[in-house]
Amino acid sequence: MNITLNQVDRHRRGLTAAPAVCALLACVALAACSSGSTSSAGGSGTAGAAAGPTTITFESYNYGTPDLGGQGMQQLISDFEKAHPDIVVKPSGISAAEIYSHVVAQASAGNPPDIAEIGWSKEAAAERNLPVVAVQDIAPASQLTQLQHSLSPQALAAGEVNSKLTVMPFAMSTPTLYINATLFKQAGLDPAAPPATWAQAKQDALAIKKATSAQGIALAADNAAGSDFLTQSLINSAGGSLIANGHVQLSTPAAQNALAMLQGLAASGAAPKVSDTDATALFKAGKLGMYLTSTALLKSFETAAKGSFTLATAAMPGFGAGPAKPTYSGAGLFVFSKSKAAQQADWTFLQFLTSEEGFTVLTEDIGYLPLRPDAIASPQYLAGFLKSNPLLSPALSQFEHVTPYQQWSGAAGDQARLDVQNNCVVPVMLNGANPATTCVSVGNQVNQLLGAQ
Amino acid sequence: MTAIPRPWGDGRELSVPLRLPSPGPALYLLPVVAFLLVWIYLPLLFTGVLSFLHWNLVSGSRPYAGPQNYTQLFRQGEFARAAGNTAAYIIGLLPFATVFPMAMAITLWKHPGRASLVYRSLLFLPVVLAPVAVAISWQFILAPLQGVLDTALTWAHLPAPDWLGSGATALWTVAVITGTKIFALNVLVYLAALAAVDRGCLDAARIDGASEWAVTRHILVPLLSRTTALTSFLCLVLGGQWTFVNIAVLTQGGPLGRTDNVYYFLYQYGFSFFNTGVASASAVVITVVLAITVAAHQFAARRLVASDQ
Repeated sequence: MNITLNQVDRHRRGLTAAPAVCALLACVALAACSSGSTSSAGGSGTAGAAAGPTTITFESYNYGTPDLGGQGMQQLISDFEKAHPDIVVKPSGISAAEIYSHVVAQASAGNPPDIAEIGWSKEAAAERNLPVVAVQDIAPASQLTQLQHSLSPQALAAGEVNSKLTVMPFAMSTPTLYINATLFKQAGLDPAAPPATWAQAKQDALAIKKATSAQGIALAADNAAGSDFLTQSLINSAGGSLIANGHVQLSTPAAQNALAMLQGLAASGAAPKVSDTDATALFKAGKLGMYLTSTALLKSFETAAKGSFTLATAAMPGFGAGPAKPTYSGAGLFVFSKSKAAQQADWTFLQFLTSEEGFTVLTEDIGYLPLRPDAIASPQYLAGFLKSNPLLSPALSQFEHVTPYQQWSGAAGDQARLDVQNNCVVPVMLNGANPATTCVSVGNQVNQLLGAQ
Repeated sequence: MTAIPRPWGDGRELSVPLRLPSPGPALYLLPVVAFLLVWIYLPLLFTGVLSFLHWNLVSGSRPYAGPQNYTQLFRQGEFARAAGNTAAYIIGLLPFATVFPMAMAITLWKHPGRASLVYRSLLFLPVVLAPVAVAISWQFILAPLQGVLDTALTWAHLPAPDWLGSGATALWTVAVITGTKIFALNVLVYLAALAAVDRGCLDAARIDGASEWAVTRHILVPLLSRTTALTSFLCLVLGGQWTFVNIAVLTQGGPLGRTDNVYYFLYQYGFSFFNTGVASASAVVITVVLAITVAAHQFAARRLVASDQ
C-alpha cells in the first residue's frame, strides 16, 4: 500500500485534535446535564469527638473594626467562651456593605456560617434568598417564651416574620445627633439646647461655620453599607413613608421635602458635600459641629473626643410639625446551621448575646441600644452606667417610639434600595440634583423594577 | 513496508515502514487543553447558558428567561452608560500605556548610568504595590476637605474639587490613578524593546546631521511600533479590567454611575444584586465585543507595524 507523506501528516493532525475534540464534547455534555449544586448543608457547627467542644462560625461586621465596636464584640465572645467552655466561637469580620453578599456566596457553595450578623435593611432579602433557620425553631419553648418576655416589643417585632421569631434582634440603634459642644460654645450656641428642628439645625450649622474653621453638620444618609435607615427616618419625620403597599413613594411631597431639606443643608454650606466616611473622620478630628448617624459610633467618638473636644448627643431633629419619627438601624442575627448540635450551640450563644450581661457589654463597649428593659433598670447591669453616661439617653428615648423599618421585599428589593440611595439620595444630597425631578424619575424607575420581579 | 513517492519525482519510490503516529504530542497538549477547557471555555459556555435563565446563585430553581435578560440589559441605560465609560477609560489610559512610557523609556535609554538605574527602580514601585493598598492611599490623598491634595490646593488659594465625588472629575481621576501603574509597567516593556535596537543606526543618523528630535521621531519611534501595537492592544483589551479595583474601592461606580464600567456593572449585578441572568448576558456581550476588537486590532497591526530589517 502506498501512503503519501501528506496522508501521514493528515493522519497525525487528526490524532492530535481528537483528544481536544473529545474533551470539548464531554464538557458540553457536562454543561447540558449539570443541575448545579444548591445543597444547603448549612453551617459547619463541627463537634469533635464525643467529648470535644462544638465549634460554630460567626460572621459579624462589628468584629475586628476600630470604629464599630470591634473590641466590644471580642469581649462578648471571650466572656461567652469562658462561661461555656464546651462551645468555641470562630468569628470573622466582614464589612457591613459586603456581609450579606458574602453569606450568599457561601450559601451558594453550600457552606454558610452558623450565625451571621446581617443588617436590618437586608432582612427581607436574606429571608428570601438564604437558608435561614428560624430562631423559634431552634429554641426550647420555655426559654423562647422567657426571651420574648425579656426583649422590648420593638426589638421583637423587628425579628418576627409572620409572627414567628425568625431573626434574633441584636444590634439596634436610632439616629443620634452627635454634637461637638466645644464648637457649639465657640459659635455662641448652647450645647444644652440642641436643635429640635431641621431649620434650627441649619442655622446652628451656619453659625458654627461662620464662627470657626469647622464644618457645620453632616448626615450619614450616604453610608458605606447602603442602608436607607436615615432616608426612611427623614421621610417618616416629614409625614410620609418611603415604601407603602410594595411601592416606593418618592413622588410624595413628604419624600421630596425631606430630600429638599438634605439638599438645602449642602447648598447653603451648612453641610459639607462628603460621604459618611469623610464625615466620620471630620467629626473625630473635631472639625464638624454636628453629625447625625448611628449610636454604633458612640464609643469611637467618645475615644476621639477625649482631650480634644466635649461630646454631647441629642435626638434627631424633626420637621417642625411634630417630633421626629426615626426608624432603627443595626443588625439581626441569622442562623444557618442544620445540625442539631450546632443549632443547640447557636441558641446558647444567642441567649448569651441577648442576656443582661450581653447587652451590658454591647451598650457599654459598642454603643448599641440595650433591648432588654430589665437590663436597663437593673443596678447590677446598666442602670448605673446609663445614669453616669447620659449620651445614650436621647437614642433610648427615641427607641420607645421607633417606627418599624420598612423592608424591601421581592427579588429586586435589594437592588431597589441601592438604586434609591445611589440614584436619588446621593445625587440630591451631594451633587445638587433637583429633588423633585430626581425623586419622580428614580421613583418610577424603582417601581418598574419592583413591579417587574 | 510501504512505498512513498519521493518529492523530487525521479520515479523511484522510497520504502518506509508504516508506523502509527505517536500519541506523545497529544499527551503533551492534553494538560493545557484540559486547563483551558475547565477554566476558560466551560465557564464561558455555562455563562452563555445562564444568560438565558433567571437565577440568584442560591435558589434551586432556574426558570428559563429567554431573551429577557438581554432586552433588560439593552433597555436599561446603565449598561450603555457603563460601556461609554469603559471607552472613556481606555481613551484616558492610552497615553499612560503608550506615549508617556515610551517617552520615559527613551529618555532613560539615551542616558544610561547609575541615575538611570535608580529611576528605573523607583518607576517600577507602583507595579509591585498591592492595588487595593494603593487605592486606599489615594483615598486619603484625594479626600475632600482633609485630603493631602485638597489641603495643599486650599493653602495655595486654588480650587479644591471633590476629585472622586464630582461627576466632572471622578472618571478621569480613576483613569489617572490606574494609569500610574500601567505607566510603570510599560516603561519596562519599552526598555526591553529598546535593548534590541541597534545604536549604530542612531549614530549614523546623527553623523549625517539629524537632530536628536529627528532621530527619535523618525528612527526610534517607528522601531518601537511593534511594542506600541502590543501596549495599545493590551490597553484596549484590558483597560476596563485594570480600573476595576479602583472603582470598587474608591467610588463604587458613583457618583451617579459616572465611574461605572462594564466590569463593575457585571460584578454588581452578579454579586451585589445576585441577578446572574443579566450579569451573564453582560459577560456574553463583553466577550463578543472583545473578540471583534481583538480581530480588528490584529488586522490593523499587521499593516502598521514597522521593522528595522
